[in-house]
Amino acid sequence: MTVTRNLLPPHASADDPRITLDEEVGGIFENVPPYPPRTEREAEFYTLGDGEMFINMGPQHPSTHGVLRVVLKLDGEKVVDLDPVLGYLHRGVEKLCENADYHQVISQVDPLEYVSSLFCEWSPVMAFEQLLDVEVPRRAEYIRVLSAELNRIASHALFAGWMALDLGGLTPILWSFIERDEIVEMLASLTGQRMLFNYFRIGGVNGDLNHDFMSRLGDWMSRAVKQIDNDTGLLNENEIFVRRMRGLGVLDRDTALRMCATGPNLRATGVPFDVRRAHPYSIYPEIDFDIPTRTEGDCLARYLLRMDEVKQSLRIIDQCLHQMPDGPIMAKLPRLLRPRPGRAYASIEGPRGQYATYAISDGTDQPFRMRIHDPSFIHLQMVGLLTPGNLVADTMAIMASLDPIMGGVDK
Amino acid sequence: MDRLFRRRLEARFGDRLTGPVRQRHDQTEIRIAAADVADILRTLHDDPEWRFELLADLAGVDTGTHMQVVYHLWSVTSPDWLRVIADGLCRDDPRIPSVTFLWKGAEWMEREAYDMFGITFEGNRDLRRIYMPPEYTSFPLRKDFFLADDAARSPGGGVRPMERSHSPRDAAPGAVRQVRA
Amino acid sequence: MALKPEAGGLGTGPADETAMGSDQPGNQPGALVTSGGALTTRNDALVEAVVVPNTLWQATDPAAYGGGQPTDITHLRDLEAAGNGRRDDARWSGMLEVIPTKADYVLDLIRANSLWPLLSGLACCAIEMMSAATSKNDMDRWGMFPFRASPRQADVLIVAGTLTTKMAGPLLRLWEQMPEPKWCVAMGDCTCSGGRYKRSYSTVEGIDRIMPVDVYVPGCPPRPEGLIYGMMKLQQLIKDRRGHWPERRIGPTVPEGV
Repeated sequence: MTVTRNLLPPHASADDPRITLDEEVGGIFENVPPYPPRTEREAEFYTLGDGEMFINMGPQHPSTHGVLRVVLKLDGEKVVDLDPVLGYLHRGVEKLCENADYHQVISQVDPLEYVSSLFCEWSPVMAFEQLLDVEVPRRAEYIRVLSAELNRIASHALFAGWMALDLGGLTPILWSFIERDEIVEMLASLTGQRMLFNYFRIGGVNGDLNHDFMSRLGDWMSRAVKQIDNDTGLLNENEIFVRRMRGLGVLDRDTALRMCATGPNLRATGVPFDVRRAHPYSIYPEIDFDIPTRTEGDCLARYLLRMDEVKQSLRIIDQCLHQMPDGPIMAKLPRLLRPRPGRAYASIEGPRGQYATYAISDGTDQPFRMRIHDPSFIHLQMVGLLTPGNLVADTMAIMASLDPIMGGVDK
Repeated sequence: MDRLFRRRLEARFGDRLTGPVRQRHDQTEIRIAAADVADILRTLHDDPEWRFELLADLAGVDTGTHMQVVYHLWSVTSPDWLRVIADGLCRDDPRIPSVTFLWKGAEWMEREAYDMFGITFEGNRDLRRIYMPPEYTSFPLRKDFFLADDAARSPGGGVRPMERSHSPRDAAPGAVRQVRA
Repeated sequence: MALKPEAGGLGTGPADETAMGSDQPGNQPGALVTSGGALTTRNDALVEAVVVPNTLWQATDPAAYGGGQPTDITHLRDLEAAGNGRRDDARWSGMLEVIPTKADYVLDLIRANSLWPLLSGLACCAIEMMSAATSKNDMDRWGMFPFRASPRQADVLIVAGTLTTKMAGPLLRLWEQMPEPKWCVAMGDCTCSGGRYKRSYSTVEGIDRIMPVDVYVPGCPPRPEGLIYGMMKLQQLIKDRRGHWPERRIGPTVPEGV
């Protein structure tokens, strides 16, 4: 299905020109792909060996990561090769950011990694603060870290639910969403929105901590550890889950570095690279937390690592609450921002990996170039590397364990 | 800001840098010619003195007059991010060697730069469009690709830059923003 | 507050017209409640059905669905009187001539109370849709639990998330693969009008440019309660046969020139 137009003319299904009848060559299926292969890799992929076939896992599929199309080359049930096709959610955010104010950029980049919106906002905001040489007040930094770590927990809870859902378990996602709903309601009382928060501002945050948020947070923290242990215990001790995931999609250290992996996917292979420690930003140097690392590099390691990170996030939140200083939550900035011409690169550790922004300013009130580097985009390349040799059902498991969010992949 | 790092870079690559080594906040920036990319990045990656094993980002930039490809690298040997700007690609036929032989993960980043700017990466085995449909003919992030906008056609014209008429038909010559980026 | 006999007869709700919206089931619009304090039974002869002739939308394909219906029939009574309503109870033709209205009503109730959505979450709104389907805001209370993966088994297509031009083709193909009766819910700002990506080069500004939409749920993203309200509106719509699917146009609901 490659013909796309902006306005599709209406037509009755009965005489759909895209569907050919059985008598014609190729039957009801279009030629895959309907154009001659343009690159070496395409030619290599779209040449069928003996007994192989193509199966299209189309943009709409039961896995919940979003609109990703994966063309699988199968030998029976075994995947020989796969070719992900992206772009079904490409919204042109970078171009829109070039036409928007510095402040408007924050609301444009929110929906990129929509389950962890605060990280998507944090990175451009840090880049702009570098361009403007603005110092963020300490209270604002603490609030940023607090809300971001909450968002990390929500994102990992969702990851656990989806991981199980892609393997067929329907209960853990319900439990994850209970967790996530609680956290998200907390963040809604702080930021005003359940999901695309639009909370960070250049120079600080939008609103201070309020009573509603603190009471919800205190209430949740008092039972968080027990609840998370309960939820993860359902999966960690489940034999089907563990046996399916152990040894699946093993990624070793050198391959991970060559594939530019970051975040939990890299740490599960034994490389203790965490931007919060390797290249500290904000107030992370003052907070005491560990970086969980595992060496097996399979799906189970990635899952367990993210659950360990949830516990570390709880530690960080606890310390933030105890060390929270008083003060302003926003630096004094003019309404219309005109940074000096220059370039800035800000990288943060998001729940999926290194989330970075490269911003170029040309002295006007709009960014000249806003390049967003998204970890899900990089990690999706690894699916093509890890899946061959496994069964079709394992494709979803591997993809879920790499935790891509299609909003971020497609920008 | 790692001063020693800057001196080491100037000592090692001094003759091939096309601009001064700039440092700001926690980033060090070097500018090289497009043809030297493969060589210099291989040195940075393989040499035990540098060990820039992590490619953090690969971006294309359209400055209005020419194109750039910007690499961000990280190493355990320096606390700074290293930004390598491969400058001077002409806008008509931007070509640059690919770094997929060092980092396979750069393949999709280069595909994205091709899709958005039209930069051809020589050596990339899979240089096809990644975001736009395969039969799309424009390169959206170029500066001469203007977004259609309803407000531009209104009688008011719009006061914000985004609302002014941007269709290529009636763009004045030199309307493309040209900066030294 | 002392109990007062309900004005307008049993089941018509309180006489105070400002109390509740007329779209809630069980509440009559204020115009139908006869004023006065005494118990009066509704006199159907006095109550005129409000028929709004549909002059806004033109049929985009006059040959669709066997010729389609004239667009000015909007009330069920008129439809039955016209006699040319294409009914889905064709198997029982002849037997139900006696009580056509009741059977249609029951069928509509069945359809409304067990709408099976198609798992068509594209972007951020999909997370809120999942949130609406899971324990805290449970859509299963209205029968919408099974999110079918296959369009052949789904009733309603909840388009949640930005529609891009690349995805427009597959989405339209999904819509066409869904068998009748089917409805479409546009969830989120991006599907209603393009939302925050209206200026972008690769998004479709609202899905009603390519498919007929029954319920628009605005918000970015709409809260799960908002989506549930939209689905309840859809249920009401089904029961009232306002989005009467055999007569609905296929293709865009946006008129030319918009």
